[in-house]
Amino acid sequence: MDTKTLITEAKARFNHNSAKAYLKEKYESKLIVADQFGLWSANLATINFLTSSSEDEIILIDNFNNPVKINRKSLLSKLNAVYKSTMEEWYTEWVALEKKR
Amino acid sequence: MVYRMGRLREKKMSKGVILFAFNSPKFNYYDMAVATAKRINHFLDLPVSIVTDITSIPKNTTYSFDNTILITADTSNKRDWGTWINKGRYRAFELSPYDETLLIDTDYLVNSTKLLNTFELPTDFCCHEDTHFLMYHTKHLEMLNPYGFKTLWATVVRFNKTKRAEQIFNSMGMVQSNYEHYANLHGFIPSPYRNDYAITLATRIANGNTLPVEDLIPWNLVHIGKNIMVYKNNDDVFNTEYTVMFDNWQRGKIRKEYTVVKELDFHVMNKDNFMELV
Repeated sequence: MDTKTLITEAKARFNHNSAKAYLKEKYESKLIVADQFGLWSANLATINFLTSSSEDEIILIDNFNNPVKINRKSLLSKLNAVYKSTMEEWYTEWVALEKKR
Repeated sequence: MVYRMGRLREKKMSKGVILFAFNSPKFNYYDMAVATAKRINHFLDLPVSIVTDITSIPKNTTYSFDNTILITADTSNKRDWGTWINKGRYRAFELSPYDETLLIDTDYLVNSTKLLNTFELPTDFCCHEDTHFLMYHTKHLEMLNPYGFKTLWATVVRFNKTKRAEQIFNSMGMVQSNYEHYANLHGFIPSPYRNDYAITLATRIANGNTLPVEDLIPWNLVHIGKNIMVYKNNDDVFNTEYTVMFDNWQRGKIRKEYTVVKELDFHVMNKDNFMELV
């Protein structure tokens, strides 16, 4: 029996809350980046801070609570790229799952 | 006594995966290890070594591990369904042929390249603390006891051959040898022996009763509980899309619910179900 038939036979309902939780689980972990001897999250707060600063080198507290001196432009470029690609994937999979009933 | 059967190498070993697999009367862990190793080779492109005993190796096997490390199985751990050979995991440090090692449970289904990120983490030892139970996303984290430490998980451990990592694994051996004492001390059930509890205590012992955040893998370990069924969405050898179905009990009635996951690594607690997926 294939999965589609199985779902129909079992009259199973798609659980959107579990799907959302799974997507959050999967994609939030993809936003974590190791760079310049620190561990970072490609989140809006960090990206905005790096964007608004003008210094070449800056000290940030990483996810391990260590202060790390980083090259701002290099980290910003990396976090931006990771954020963009991950959010694109997250959105695409979310749209596909939202169509399920 | 340890026997090693390995291939001749041209270059120095550095990164690899090690699996422990000892067959029990109920489950064929060797077959599970072969299936997991194939997926590791495919998705992570890493060599896989197995730690096992001579009785677990089938007569006709087509898969060749990078190294087959034979040890004597410790059969002293009993569960309701029989003997569960999970002791001796602390020997991973001593037995691993790699400088940087991923130690993975055989029932961990690799569906992506995500585990490669553990090698990027700036630490010489890390394992999971936080977990996510698929379909039970509000489930609380497991504790050693209601007032004790959060349980760390031995399901996925990445370590380097450093003094500190060695101390953690040695401490794990000490906890295993004195498990009843530690169970009394920390208020958990002394049988069956669990590597998760041993690694929880060992990590703290080796770190001076602290738990450095660097020792924790910075994403959650995804579990699929025993009462949840997973189905492959296609018959590809390296399928990565699954339908996860469970019976949601509400007001005395069962409501069947499902979700679909893809390219997500997860730990399958239902061993029979695991073999249907690989």
